[in-house]
Amino acid sequence: MEEDGLTQVYITSTGWHLPGPAVSNDRVEDVLGAVNGKPSGLRAQIQKSNGILQRHYGIDERQQSTISNAGMAVEAGKQCMDRAFRPLHQVGMLAVASTQGDHPAPGLASFVQAGLGMAEVEILSAQSICSSSMMALKAAWLSLRCEEHEAAWVIATEMPSRLLKKQRYEAATESTFATKTIDFNTEFLRWMLSDGAGALLLETAPRPKGVSLRIDWMKGWSHAHALPTCMSVGDSGKTDEERTWQDYDTYAEAERDGALLLRQDVRLLDHIVRLGVDGYVRLVQDGLNVPSEVDHFLCHYSSHHFRPKILEMLDAAGVGIPDEKWWTNLYTRGNTGAASLFIMLDEFIRTQAPKVGDRILCFVPESGRFNTTYMHLTVVDHE
Amino acid sequence: MSDGSIAIDGQPVATAASSIGAEDVPDLSPLAQDALRRLLRVWIQFERDLVTVPILRRLDLGTYTLADHRRLLLNMRQQVIEGSRWIARAASSMDRDHSALRSLVLRHAVDEHRDFSMLEQDYVAAGGDLATIQERHKNVGSEAFHGFMMHRASQPNPVDMLGAMWIIEGLGERMASGWSARMEELCEREGITRFMAYHGENDGDHMQKFYAMLDDVCTDEDVVRRIETTAKVVARLYRLQLEEVDDE
Repeated sequence: MEEDGLTQVYITSTGWHLPGPAVSNDRVEDVLGAVNGKPSGLRAQIQKSNGILQRHYGIDERQQSTISNAGMAVEAGKQCMDRAFRPLHQVGMLAVASTQGDHPAPGLASFVQAGLGMAEVEILSAQSICSSSMMALKAAWLSLRCEEHEAAWVIATEMPSRLLKKQRYEAATESTFATKTIDFNTEFLRWMLSDGAGALLLETAPRPKGVSLRIDWMKGWSHAHALPTCMSVGDSGKTDEERTWQDYDTYAEAERDGALLLRQDVRLLDHIVRLGVDGYVRLVQDGLNVPSEVDHFLCHYSSHHFRPKILEMLDAAGVGIPDEKWWTNLYTRGNTGAASLFIMLDEFIRTQAPKVGDRILCFVPESGRFNTTYMHLTVVDHE
Repeated sequence: MSDGSIAIDGQPVATAASSIGAEDVPDLSPLAQDALRRLLRVWIQFERDLVTVPILRRLDLGTYTLADHRRLLLNMRQQVIEGSRWIARAASSMDRDHSALRSLVLRHAVDEHRDFSMLEQDYVAAGGDLATIQERHKNVGSEAFHGFMMHRASQPNPVDMLGAMWIIEGLGERMASGWSARMEELCEREGITRFMAYHGENDGDHMQKFYAMLDDVCTDEDVVRRIETTAKVVARLYRLQLEEVDDE
């Protein structure tokens, strides 16, 4: 129990699922497929700039699904539970996050609950993009803090490969992708995102053996009031078109117009990094973030996404984080959107042997419509 | 400003650590560090809020035209030309204890004549008439901006002008590194952004000088707050000036 009267909450177990074998950069187009048989002219350039070396997909080289999004969440959940000291039936809540479940309705958590065979739990489905994981985690964290439950599972899962396979682009015959010579905004994420799931178990006591991660605080700020949409599925991306996908007479028409393609407005992308810095400095001003005391910085973006100048300013302002404190597995596990942070936490705690008392700052920005989320963890020993 | 940009151009990007030598990090007092953190936030939010300014949104969307460009230059000229007045006023309001800041402020004025004549030439190159831009009145935002700057510059030792310079210089750099090339590309015409591009070439080691000045003037919390407030007001009024470009 903390002095504020609320119960302390710990991440006591983690797990992941990365489908299929690791796919190297030069083989990515074999899996997603070359659109209309023509290799992309942008692939190598985009891959080089995002720095990812290999990734995983839940589709095969014929673009057929080998697993579902819910299926990946279940696998990650099982691995997390195998490493835990609490039986499945003693978990009272399941919060699941994803950009897009297998079904538009009902929520993804129902399918994951069924797959895990959890009887009569409270469920929550969080849908956004990268930060949906933090939304689900915060809801679960607060449920435990208020003693609504003793344990909760939080699972984030992503399967963007089904959005990125060649058939999606080939069917978008009247889209900007079909009419422009180079449509950077539509191709950008095709060479960025990949599939995977990560799971965390939250409990109100540390695990009896090994270390746990106490959640000290979670904060988030969304800037959707001030900025246009930057990453989305559901409209054609044409400036004079206001319809979203369900406004078309048929889904086929929406698909032809490119309203079902995943798109990123790359000209706006800089703002998510800057607004991430804004929230980071705001947390310093609020007294929550003390950069000199942070031992590990787990960021959904790697440090090379930040131009040196802004990092230099943070150093000058006394709140920089030395490069050796940044840790990521983005380059080897891929950018799995909402699942990224959980996959990162899982590998970090298993391979980096953090010491008791170490402080971990996590940052998950979402470029969708500019949401920035932060979490602070402390490594604690068993009692 | 190009800081914070995501590298999407495929060019090799230096890692954070290798690009920053520890010797480059200025040793600022805790008050100056606090001021810098506040200014950083004001700048980031200013950049965020510029996105929805109609003429700049068209720049992002790719619908910015030569007529837009002429209108932008037409609206900027009065503020640039009047800039020398608040600079001179601020300099004369500094006593001998603030001579270093006075020199920094005055350096702003040195190229002022070149600035506005360059801007006029850009306007002509963009198809505008010289007499039109020279006879142009200030827009509503420029009136408010200039009025505030003259007011602050008239206070004894207006050290908060550092906050104003932070925004104005930041924007100059942003124009040079981001806007100018994009404008020429969309307008399909060269030689119409020399004024904006020139500002980028002109900064040299201005950040180190700025840090040193901030360290010098941030002697108590009131100064820090005043610098932040002036930066916020200047950011808001600059945005108003740009919004008014479309409201004429």
